[in-house]
Amino acid sequence: MQRLALTLLLLLALSALFLGLRPHASYSAQDREQAAAGASALHPAGTDALGRDRLTRVAVAALLGLTGAVSAATLTTVIAAGVGVLAALGPSFLEGPLLLLCDAFLALPWLFLLMMVRSGMPLGTAPLLSAAATFFILALLGWPACARAVHAGAARMRCADWMTQGRAGGLRTTQLMQWHVLPRLGSLLSPQFLISVPAFLMAEANLGTLGLGVTEPLPSWGSMLLELDHSAVMGGSLWIYLPVVSLVGTLVLLELLVTEEARA
Amino acid sequence: MRFLRQLGRTCLLVLLVAAGTLALVRYAPGYFSDPREMDAEHAATIRAEIDARRETDSSSRAMAVRIVQGWLHGQLGTSRQYQVPVGELIRPRLGVTARLVAGGLAFGWLAAVALAVPLSMRLNSAGEAAIAAGSALLLAIPVGALATIFLLTNTGGPTLTLGLLLAARDFKFVYRLLRAQWREPHLLFARAQGMTVKQIVYHSLLRPLSPQLASLATMSFVMALSLAVPAEVLFDLPGIGQLAWGAAMNRDLPLLLAVTLLMATAVGLSGLVCPPALTLQEKLEPA
Repeated sequence: MQRLALTLLLLLALSALFLGLRPHASYSAQDREQAAAGASALHPAGTDALGRDRLTRVAVAALLGLTGAVSAATLTTVIAAGVGVLAALGPSFLEGPLLLLCDAFLALPWLFLLMMVRSGMPLGTAPLLSAAATFFILALLGWPACARAVHAGAARMRCADWMTQGRAGGLRTTQLMQWHVLPRLGSLLSPQFLISVPAFLMAEANLGTLGLGVTEPLPSWGSMLLELDHSAVMGGSLWIYLPVVSLVGTLVLLELLVTEEARA
Repeated sequence: MRFLRQLGRTCLLVLLVAAGTLALVRYAPGYFSDPREMDAEHAATIRAEIDARRETDSSSRAMAVRIVQGWLHGQLGTSRQYQVPVGELIRPRLGVTARLVAGGLAFGWLAAVALAVPLSMRLNSAGEAAIAAGSALLLAIPVGALATIFLLTNTGGPTLTLGLLLAARDFKFVYRLLRAQWREPHLLFARAQGMTVKQIVYHSLLRPLSPQLASLATMSFVMALSLAVPAEVLFDLPGIGQLAWGAAMNRDLPLLLAVTLLMATAVGLSGLVCPPALTLQEKLEPA
């Protein structure tokens, strides 16, 4: 099941890459004659209310979403690993404050924190910068839960026999970390990374639905969901559901990947 | 004693959140900008207002002292967007959000427990795979998409939207907890001894799991507060979530700050009622 989900995800990413970067494909070019049109040879998935090619926009949104979520998940996992290991195995006076910091982040509902940070951006933020800022903010706010899990895992190692043996054998803390602790934490960090990717995609989609995600004309799954609001005036074209179907499909595949990894 | 320690920790957390939020708001690159500047008719007035704000908020310490003094006198500041005290905006909306969150939580928990108890007892591996797929599908639907589909098809309201999404999340955890519990030797023995399922569920399943379920309830509460924002916005429900969204869209940072702190306090207090949610998360996630 995991291999199938991974294969389908790779296929999806490759198709998005091919469709989004094909020659003459533009996510922002407007075809004024074909606004809110159904499928045609020129626009295989129709156009949006501004006459922009929906297939290209969905492909670019998928590329942007996957790249952003994977990058943010990598950053958040690195931060979480650093904070979690430092709290568990670093100087003892750091443990309390670091865990308190994690709890302070966790004491706020995510979306409120995201809305607050996102609304603090300057008014004229460029679209690409808004995308980078959105995923960067997600990464900066997403690490505490993962850090708590890493801390719990690393704290169990603190009293392990092999750790005592390593210390008694004269290994320095950095050597212990590099050779023993981090490789063992890999089995914990990998599901945490996989959990973060769909969580960030979902968070971006929710922010986008509220109009606080990636700014126009750059397409994102979140901002494209807003199109559903206009479905009543779009002549009943089913292609309007393409963004939501592609997003849900990707999230289901990622969720299956996470479930299988956790089971493994 | 334990309660007092937890209360102290909650107060400390809320203070930390307050300090962090204040710093975040004050040093945000867009703090001295206002969407009303784009309106040519009012641009000059708004710019004068921003200049005045730049004077008064130049020192973050002075700003913090002013805000805390206001809070101590029961004033949460003045909304930039509506030009009325923030408290007046929040008070009538509290009930709307409380009703939505309570309804969503009740629906989500009833559905999750009602499904998880029988399914965790009887399912084989094929059934488990089907449950995993169904749960994955529901978890993959963004709240905005579900709410829009309900609106377009006129089939459900904000409470159902919230309840369904919470049920999907809660079911996953409750099912996993119960599935592990059903395999415990004492439960197998109880079943072999002829105890009814009702007795087992009440005495040997739900009661021993109540600390974990209470922790999960805290997590659900936090999740419900987050989900309430898009639900209220899309269904045009005048609650705290819609107010926060309006404040975020219009950069009404005093209002957003007050709402965020209100949410942090609510989450902190819910943590007092239930044990810390992280205990459960830490138990589940490494597995």
